[in-house]
Amino acid sequence: MNNQAPSKFALRFLAWFCPYYLYEGIEGDLLEQFDENLKTMGHKRARRRFLWHVLLFFRPSIILRNNFKLNIINTIMLGNYFKITARTIMKSKLYSFINAFGLSIGMAFCMLIYLYIQDERSFDQFHANKDSIYRMEVKRYNTWKMWSEDEDMFSSMAYLQTALGPTLKEELPEVIMATRYNHGGEGVVTYGDKVFTEDLTYVDADFFQMFSFDVLEGNRKTMLSGQLEAVITPEVAKRYFGDESPINKVIEIDREGKKSFTITGIIAPPPANSSLTYNILIRQENRPYYDRNNENWGNFGCPTFVMLEEGTDMANFDDNLAKIVDKYMADKIANWSLPEEMPEGLAPFTYLYSKLTDIHLNTEIGWRNNSDPQYSMILGAIAILILIIACINYVSLALVTSKSRRVEVGVRKSIGANRSQVIYQFTFESIILAFVSMLFGLGLMKLFLPAFNSFTSKAISLDLQSLSEITIVGILISILVGVIAGSYPSLVLSHFKPAEVLKGNYSSKVKSGFVKPLVVLQFAMSAFLIVSSVIMYKQMEYITTKDLGYDKEQVLVIPTQTGWNDNANTAIKQMRQALSYNPNIVAVAGTSSSFNRGFSLNGYEIDGVEKSAYVYAIDTEYIPTLDIELVEGRNFDENISTDTTAIIVNEALVEDMEWENPLEEYLNWTGDTIGLGFKVVGVVKDFHFRSLEHKIQPMLMSMNKEYTGYLINMLVRISPSDIPATIKEVESEWRALFPDKPFDYNFMDEDIDRQYESYSQWMSIMGLATGFAILISCLGLFGISGVNALNRTKEIGIRKVMGAELSNIFILLNKQYIWLAIVAFAVASPLSWYVMNIWLSDFEFTITIGWEIFALSMITGLVVAIATVSYHAIKSALLNPADTLKYE
Amino acid sequence: MGKEYLGEFEELVLTMVAVLGEDAYGNAIVQEVKERLDRKVNLSGVHVTLYRLEDKGLVKSHMGGATNTRGGRKKRLFTITNAGMALIRAVQEQRMSLWKLIPQLKLVGS
Repeated sequence: MNNQAPSKFALRFLAWFCPYYLYEGIEGDLLEQFDENLKTMGHKRARRRFLWHVLLFFRPSIILRNNFKLNIINTIMLGNYFKITARTIMKSKLYSFINAFGLSIGMAFCMLIYLYIQDERSFDQFHANKDSIYRMEVKRYNTWKMWSEDEDMFSSMAYLQTALGPTLKEELPEVIMATRYNHGGEGVVTYGDKVFTEDLTYVDADFFQMFSFDVLEGNRKTMLSGQLEAVITPEVAKRYFGDESPINKVIEIDREGKKSFTITGIIAPPPANSSLTYNILIRQENRPYYDRNNENWGNFGCPTFVMLEEGTDMANFDDNLAKIVDKYMADKIANWSLPEEMPEGLAPFTYLYSKLTDIHLNTEIGWRNNSDPQYSMILGAIAILILIIACINYVSLALVTSKSRRVEVGVRKSIGANRSQVIYQFTFESIILAFVSMLFGLGLMKLFLPAFNSFTSKAISLDLQSLSEITIVGILISILVGVIAGSYPSLVLSHFKPAEVLKGNYSSKVKSGFVKPLVVLQFAMSAFLIVSSVIMYKQMEYITTKDLGYDKEQVLVIPTQTGWNDNANTAIKQMRQALSYNPNIVAVAGTSSSFNRGFSLNGYEIDGVEKSAYVYAIDTEYIPTLDIELVEGRNFDENISTDTTAIIVNEALVEDMEWENPLEEYLNWTGDTIGLGFKVVGVVKDFHFRSLEHKIQPMLMSMNKEYTGYLINMLVRISPSDIPATIKEVESEWRALFPDKPFDYNFMDEDIDRQYESYSQWMSIMGLATGFAILISCLGLFGISGVNALNRTKEIGIRKVMGAELSNIFILLNKQYIWLAIVAFAVASPLSWYVMNIWLSDFEFTITIGWEIFALSMITGLVVAIATVSYHAIKSALLNPADTLKYE
Repeated sequence: MGKEYLGEFEELVLTMVAVLGEDAYGNAIVQEVKERLDRKVNLSGVHVTLYRLEDKGLVKSHMGGATNTRGGRKKRLFTITNAGMALIRAVQEQRMSLWKLIPQLKLVGS
């Protein structure tokens, strides 16, 4: 029987796209054809044929007739739609607020992410020569095996030989300019009585002509042509010269010996979206050990940029680079112990290069401020998640409140509106709401921007251009959101049959069954965020409170500012002497590198096996000052002369060397061909000298100045009683001893916390997103439960008359939400478990994700959800049945 | 009529509307074309063409009375307008005048 009729779907589809005034004629013709076909062929074929013919009608010349007509009518009705929208918003203030609140926060997030992504993409785009500037890189075979097993056979880096830049410029015709760029060496700068520690940047004279940083004073072409010239930023100039002109003034810079520099230029500070930064620029030749490094093609420490002639054949450039390798590196590579067979197509040593504009988002090769494009994706995903949660609020609230719009739809339809017009009206309504939300969203974005900047360590500012871009993005998002969020409710609402609705017969129930999956989805998203942030929080708590094997509290770290020489060791001794009378000073020690202030990794060969260890120069006070536990042997002693060739090692090194009795062993880590090496006098318990992202690897400590260097960091342990006063006392002693050196200090625990800065930033972002997600979904749930309680007012009244207790009604109304929350958690838990495991894999030391975390998150979520829905449940349970039933 | 231009299919449909007189609607045209010219045309194509002709003012349409067949749907009936009639007549005359210009000998010789 049913087979004798064409498919309902096809007919509905036709009704959907076909202009109303053509519909009857077309449908009739199709039906007639179908009847004809039924006689000549089987019903299956006829039905298929029918569908095919409907599809054939789905063509522009039919569909476009729709729009033409819609436009005319809608411009007429637009005023009315607008009025009704405004009235609806005013009438149900709570629901409109819930919708607008969620949507505007979602949109503010989206706009912030847009700004973030724009900023990421704008890096280094401001250079006029950006298309012809390349950063040189090297990809080389790892001659000494690193510790972790999965380390690649090849490593790539942007640190090159010091001589490479000038050599390329001299020998390759296509390289028209080249500059080396070393940033970050600290030096003490003196002008008159002003003494500060400054970051120095070592470049070549071509720097200013290759890059488009604004030169404020001085001649771009001749700057740094003399070896003892310096170029500074206005900020630095202000620090030393105030309002005076710095040009031709002479400053002293102390970096491995004092030198005087004449300032010949002022250069604008680098924009926030620059991969290259600087404060004080001086010539490469002033870099410590320049001459030694310049002759040694085995020393890699110098980032290099080249500018190629326009239209350079890159294949030719590659060939020329290979020739440079042959010319300067061949004898070195010949000495490497290479594997029998190199992987196909890979040379042991190759020069590569990246475009300047690709540096920032390249995660393969480390650069000071590069970033992972993944971050943009994660941020974008969070924003979209929040936007979806807000959209679900809109959809579910529109569905559960659709009762109140029934009569309106009925009246509209009966005086001539067709279904598409009703759809259009409700879509229009949601777009208007989205627009209003967008305006609030713009305000919120402005409000959030400073916080967002600090979370992501960016310096995004709103100018007219980005503001107008953001507005356009906002408008696009609101149209999109309006259409997506509005489409389902408008389809449902437009479905009402006027006759039934107007008769007052409410038996045609709205299928609000769709609301439940939406709420589950919404809660699953929130649950995902809750679980993730709980895990992140637990991990961060673990990291910041984990026993690191030493006492990091109340220790000042003070750089000795003496340079890499014996003055550093003397400075520590002088300071210890001076502070020894102060009861508030517990101890003074020295080390070559304090925590999170660099490290030194030494490779050596023992019996043909290549090994490596971290090397620290320390003094006798170091181990007691930091309260590091000695498990065997003793600390260094000033009075034992052989202690200068002794070492103290950690347990990891003992294990690596497979020593039974470490105190009887010698470690030859300096490549000594005659002696046995350094005697082991002590073994310390493993402590985390690097961040918890790393395993504890072999390390050794020594007082030998020749091999391990100098104590350029002073550690001062102070008593916790009056910290500011004690710091003042330390400073005054410092000023008395070293009047020409700046007094910079940090607390050691702050240094250590800084290692995890990016993680705690992400945790704040996640926390914020979770907070908003919970807030928005709870608001939505609050609305839905309110409507549901209202719909069941009479039922509750009858139940109460029949003797139901308050608690029965409470349970009755809340039961379904608890189920929804449990289902949502069941969906979200595996997902967040998976994602968080990926996040945790960055750390070597992690919490275990146990069931209690999920249980905790779930209970939190449940409590919040129940608290939200309880308001309405209690309110309606307390109503007097006489009031609710008397109108029946 | 200089500017008016009809495609081949448009001309066919327009002619068919004229041929069918009072009873010209989409399906009837499809049937008629099939019977008289043994040519299969798509219903959707015919409809689109009819609406285009209506836009050009060559045919006009009205809804017919209710029917018992075709699910009770009314037919959209098309009738040719004076302009439409004039146009196919002009096309016809142009054809004939061109036809006369073909050298008849060519049919005999090779």
